[in-house]
Amino acid sequence: MNMHARTPLPLPEDELLHEKRVLPQIEFRGVSKMYGKVPAVRDLSLTVRRGEFLTILGPSGSGKTTTLMLLAGFEAPSAGDILIAGQSVAAVPSYRRDQGIVFQSYALFPHLTVAGNLEFPLEMRGVNAADRKIRVGRMLERVHLRDFGGRMPSQLSGGQQQRVALARALIADPPFLLLDEPLGALDRNLREQMQIEMKSLHKEFGITTVCVTHDQEEALTLSDRIVVMRSGRIEQIDTPEALYDRPATCFVAKFLGEANILEEPDFRIEFDSAQPSGTVGMIRPERIRIVAPKESKRSDADRRQSVTGTVDDMIYAGPLRKYHVRVGGTVLIVREHVAAGQPTFRPGDEVRLDWLRSDVRFVAA
Amino acid sequence: MSSFYKLGQMPIGLTVPAFAILLVVFGIPTVLLFLISLNAPDFSVTNYYAFFTQPANVRVLFQTIEVSLVATGICLIVGYPTAYLIVTASKSLRITLIALVIIPYLTSGLARTYAWIVILGDRGVINNLLLGLGLIQSPLPLIYNRMAVYIGMVHIMLPLMILPLVSAMMGIDRSFVAAARSMGAGPFTAFRRVFFPLSLPGVRSGSLLVFVFCLGFYITPAALGGLRDAMLSTFIAAQVKSSFDMSRIATAAFILLAVAIIVLSMVGLDLSGTQGRAANPVRKSWLARLSIIRNLKLYLSELPRPYRAKRWAAQLYQAGTASRWPQIIGRVFVVLVMVYLLFPGLIVVVMSFSAGAFLEFPPSGLSLQWYRSFFGDASWNGAAWTSVQIGVEVAILSTIVGTLAAFGLSRMGPGSRSFLTMIIITPITFPVIVVGIATYLGLIELGLIGSQTGIILAHSIGAIGIVVVIVSATLANFDRTLVQAAKSMRAGPLQTFMRVTLPLIRPGLIGGAVFAFLQSFDEAVITSLVGGLSVRTLPLKMLENMRNQIDPTIAAVASLLMLLPLLWIIVFYVLWWKSKAKAQNTLPAPAA
Repeated sequence: MNMHARTPLPLPEDELLHEKRVLPQIEFRGVSKMYGKVPAVRDLSLTVRRGEFLTILGPSGSGKTTTLMLLAGFEAPSAGDILIAGQSVAAVPSYRRDQGIVFQSYALFPHLTVAGNLEFPLEMRGVNAADRKIRVGRMLERVHLRDFGGRMPSQLSGGQQQRVALARALIADPPFLLLDEPLGALDRNLREQMQIEMKSLHKEFGITTVCVTHDQEEALTLSDRIVVMRSGRIEQIDTPEALYDRPATCFVAKFLGEANILEEPDFRIEFDSAQPSGTVGMIRPERIRIVAPKESKRSDADRRQSVTGTVDDMIYAGPLRKYHVRVGGTVLIVREHVAAGQPTFRPGDEVRLDWLRSDVRFVAA
Repeated sequence: MSSFYKLGQMPIGLTVPAFAILLVVFGIPTVLLFLISLNAPDFSVTNYYAFFTQPANVRVLFQTIEVSLVATGICLIVGYPTAYLIVTASKSLRITLIALVIIPYLTSGLARTYAWIVILGDRGVINNLLLGLGLIQSPLPLIYNRMAVYIGMVHIMLPLMILPLVSAMMGIDRSFVAAARSMGAGPFTAFRRVFFPLSLPGVRSGSLLVFVFCLGFYITPAALGGLRDAMLSTFIAAQVKSSFDMSRIATAAFILLAVAIIVLSMVGLDLSGTQGRAANPVRKSWLARLSIIRNLKLYLSELPRPYRAKRWAAQLYQAGTASRWPQIIGRVFVVLVMVYLLFPGLIVVVMSFSAGAFLEFPPSGLSLQWYRSFFGDASWNGAAWTSVQIGVEVAILSTIVGTLAAFGLSRMGPGSRSFLTMIIITPITFPVIVVGIATYLGLIELGLIGSQTGIILAHSIGAIGIVVVIVSATLANFDRTLVQAAKSMRAGPLQTFMRVTLPLIRPGLIGGAVFAFLQSFDEAVITSLVGGLSVRTLPLKMLENMRNQIDPTIAAVASLLMLLPLLWIIVFYVLWWKSKAKAQNTLPAPAA
């Protein structure tokens, strides 16, 4: 439990925010959602902790968006219950709930100005005009859009629209925030910038956040914990580091980063411990060392397994080099950082690959 | 508020008012009509047998089909190059040309038919001019023959052909043609192999629209054609006036309807093929197996095109021809088409200011006497006032009922949605004379013949269809997540509707209301059948005058009707283009 991240009160000088917020815990209890006879979510049980940034990650069709729709109240569960702060909300329509949502398309009202968009949630909560103005001004300042209040959403760039959407979701100070593919529509550079910004906003507002994405990088960067979903079920829940380092299944290993699966007969894997049944060996590309076949063995050779193979392909990617090395009938991916004096192998070169036996993970096939 | 919410939860519920009106005024009577034509309860085909054993009837039937086919063919031959030239013109020129096509489209068909009487008549503009120049000794027989029928019909139908074609051609990505050129295709080959096949859906929808309208055409052939140029609808209307043998009327109406359906399905099969199916991925249902219905469905889904044709601001496709001659020929051609479309209207407007006791062109002196006569004569301004009243009430009723139905339809699955939409818009797809007969029967049952309420109901069944089509198109572009967004910010269903949905679909609603008003304001065929003798609308009064040609006041009325579209154009400009411009033209925002 990382409850420790949960203290900083936002904008201490803000007299409008100083009502004490009790951040709720969100709980899914055996929730299923059927569309006709097709299950979108099956028997999902999950607890979102107070103040955490939880990401639901999965390929399209894995049920992640349905899960978010259920939490937002746009869909009702077919079975099971959803509890927010211990209260069942399965039958509460979305407009009676208290939440902020950032939609994939941002869903900024095209007929209202930026300020009009930000005012909307305050107006619906009965905040008077003068207070609305103050809070909108402050929020615009916070997301670096001070002079944009009078613009129409169509006059903003993608990144600016994204910030307005985020500001609109946060302005009424909801107890939790839902993000639907929040950065999906942005280009790469902008996305990285927004990731940093969102992380700082999350820290500052300390708001429980549930984010849905198919972008593993986004998930790894932003989240306290990640839920990996696959065909309506939870595949694994853990911190980003743990998920990457110790994936439970082959699916998780391949979905988060690249993975080499080591299987018989090409690999007779040497292990430090016994291999549990129903699992295969997996090693990350950056854990494999690539050397010329004649290079002398290192001091830790007794802790390493080594194989020989032929370079199929070399992909140059700035600071990285990626090799595809054929070992028997398997192609292993090897990734190494370019360093001075390191030899570059060409397709057709014979190479030796070796890795620490302790770097091999057992994952469910 | 909770009842509002519950209603929203039941898509079918929202369509109930529309279907109730449709069923009572049109649906049940149509079935009754069919039963009458079959001599129910005895059930026999003697009526149909009687129809086909009369050579005169068969001749009229074939003539109807022939006239419709020829008129459609001329529209296509003239319309396709026009649409192509419009699409390839520069942006400002293109918008102007489209507006010039829309002006006649929005102008009263009666007024335009009247213009041709004035131009082609024995003492009309052309004959007067030729006589005056001494080129001819006696008036040429320009009117009351087949040629005049074609001139008048094509004049009225041409915008209906051009608009779907323009809309389809605008949707063709210019890079396709560029790609063909890059692969070594000459301009003509690129056109023939790439552009033309891609424009076929527009050809199909335009042709089907024009053809079915032509089949039911009544006023124009009757006003411009000779006695031998009777169409089936003229024949039916004459039966209603004279004998009133319901079984013969019903039989003729159903034969006309059958022709429409058969030709539609044939043309649909021929031209649509895989193309149409690719363009309209209709979910497979039991319906799809009946090919006739499927093709009808395809046709019906094309209907909204003229209304949807608002992507006029999209990127233009520049032809880039090397030689000058094609350009010059093209320009001359477009000018000629525009003159053909607009000149009759101008002539009527100018003539309406004649000072003499008769209409003349060019007028020997200017006066406002016919306008004074229009505004001073109770029978004229009374009729106009009645038409405005009826039109406004039709617009209100059908906008409310049609919008509810469109909302309901938008929440259904694609299968039931297209099926129910098809049913709701039957009154604007059936030949108008058939709708008129069925409505007449329906209003007799309701005891509303000759009442204003009856006319409002009769006009509303078509107007509801138009509103459904327009509002559905608007709703299809409406982003549903905006509603979710509003709800996530604690806006209740009513607040969401008032603050988010309504402001965003308002252009569609007003557009629907305007078209509903127009549908009613210019309607003469159905009105003449159900209006009895007591209610006089402006189109009826005009029709009466066109037949007798006594009172030149009609010129003032017609020219007032010609000026009306300018008003609509301004309304639409304010509604659509301006809001589009606001949303699109400013997109590349100055980065901050």
